[in-house]
Amino acid sequence: MIRLASWSLAIATVVCTIAPQATSSSAVSADAPRPAYAAFVAAQPPGGGAAPADDPWGFEEEEEKVETWGDVLLPQALDISLTAAFLAFAMFSFFRKSQPLKYATLVLSVAYLGITKSQLVSITDLFRIVDWSFPTMRDGVTWYLFTGFAILSTVLWGRVYCGRICAFGAFTQLMDATLPKRLRIEPPKWLEKRASWIKYGLLVATVAYYVATKQFGVYRYVEPFWMYTRSADVVLWSMLAALLIATVVVRNLYCRFLCPVGATLGVLSTLTVFGIKRWSECKTCTICEKTCEWGAIDGPKIIMTECVRCDDCERVYADEKKCPHWLIPVIRSRKVAEAMAAGRPAPRFIELTRG
Amino acid sequence: MKPLSHFAAVLLFLGTVGVAIVAAQKVFVNPHPEEHLKALFPKAVAFSPKTGEPPVFKAYAVDPKTNPNAAPIGYAYWTPELLPDEHGYHGPIHLIVGIDTAGIISGVIDDYDSEPYGYFSVEPPEFAQQFKGKSVRDPFRVGQDVAAVARASLSINSATRAIRDASRMVARAYLDPNAVKR
Repeated sequence: MIRLASWSLAIATVVCTIAPQATSSSAVSADAPRPAYAAFVAAQPPGGGAAPADDPWGFEEEEEKVETWGDVLLPQALDISLTAAFLAFAMFSFFRKSQPLKYATLVLSVAYLGITKSQLVSITDLFRIVDWSFPTMRDGVTWYLFTGFAILSTVLWGRVYCGRICAFGAFTQLMDATLPKRLRIEPPKWLEKRASWIKYGLLVATVAYYVATKQFGVYRYVEPFWMYTRSADVVLWSMLAALLIATVVVRNLYCRFLCPVGATLGVLSTLTVFGIKRWSECKTCTICEKTCEWGAIDGPKIIMTECVRCDDCERVYADEKKCPHWLIPVIRSRKVAEAMAAGRPAPRFIELTRG
Repeated sequence: MKPLSHFAAVLLFLGTVGVAIVAAQKVFVNPHPEEHLKALFPKAVAFSPKTGEPPVFKAYAVDPKTNPNAAPIGYAYWTPELLPDEHGYHGPIHLIVGIDTAGIISGVIDDYDSEPYGYFSVEPPEFAQQFKGKSVRDPFRVGQDVAAVARASLSINSATRAIRDASRMVARAYLDPNAVKR
């Protein structure tokens, strides 16, 4: 029921964001002249005969001014449907809490969003807020779909985007899954906690730098997402190489400590509607905390800004052979049975609660 | 901790909105395009200030101060000034275009753009060069007479449309259709 409500909320929000945009753009297909040009042509004094046939110029596209939504959407149909299908698959893997499906999502993300499209939410999407400049609806349906999904899913469930949509995060997670574990160093807890603040600093510094200088190209020095375009200079390639080598040693280094987009979504994730449920036993048992590869569990608490909804702790949770939550009642009932058999009074236990 | 992080979120949101309001001034085109004008019309000895509707710089082979009857040999214009609603992926691409009196594009220069993927689409010189020598009557279709660039179609489409439509506007306003070969 709650899930249904959340979906209707999600859809309603997306529709509300898109609808005003959609109706305000009157002219359409990718080749069609824009309103300013159409207005200019319409205002031209008719030379000789007023009929368009007598236009001494007779440029060809100008006759195509009547557009339909079909004209807009058709050239983008494949892109929109593949993106939507990918997002749907990612959410399916999320709700199923399935590890193989998650890795399938990561591979798809690298292949499609990364190598094929090079589409990632970027700090340049924050520069858009500074410039108040967004793609036109008719050209940017996929952008609205993708960015809208990233924001909405973060508000609803936390940084799902970071955990399985982002093509760079997917790449480093696949690195982590395939590289030998002995290469890895786990940073100590205190260092990890402090390092996770770097990304917020980098976010504020980069946006401030852009506001001050309007140098758009700065984004390539703070995020490595350009790597999928395979076009850069020596400095950038060296920085990327250094980052990837460091990622071999410290897993998901960029996502956890440096990413400004992750920081932005981290701030949004404090609003998370459907967080991970915990039991009272989590206060003492640290099995999830040890399982978490993102440093997002601190004793009884989940640090939502660091959590990317990777499902690892939730899988432990669901495992009736691993999670003490399931084992404790079994052990307790056994103890009660033993006591009864021995004729002793039944032992008393702390009450288990969920919260 | 929870109320504190909510507070931080609200603060960051307000901060962003504040920054947006302060920073959202319109980006104006480069006020000193002299070098661009010379590059577009190497033969010109003088240029008019920006005049007319649509606004253009007129290029002269003879200084109009010495010969007031001199006719311009071409026109240069900023695409974002003629087509303010033409947006790329991030915003307007500041192209300055030159066209001669025969309707042939003498050059295109990308003065400024804020396209995230501009560095491999509209910024490399090959992009601007392919328009040199094109007629205003050409179709300007990406993938046909204009090279397509994978992953940057929004930027390429927008820049191409901007060059095409701005050139057509200038042609309609300043050129003689009979002088432009079909």
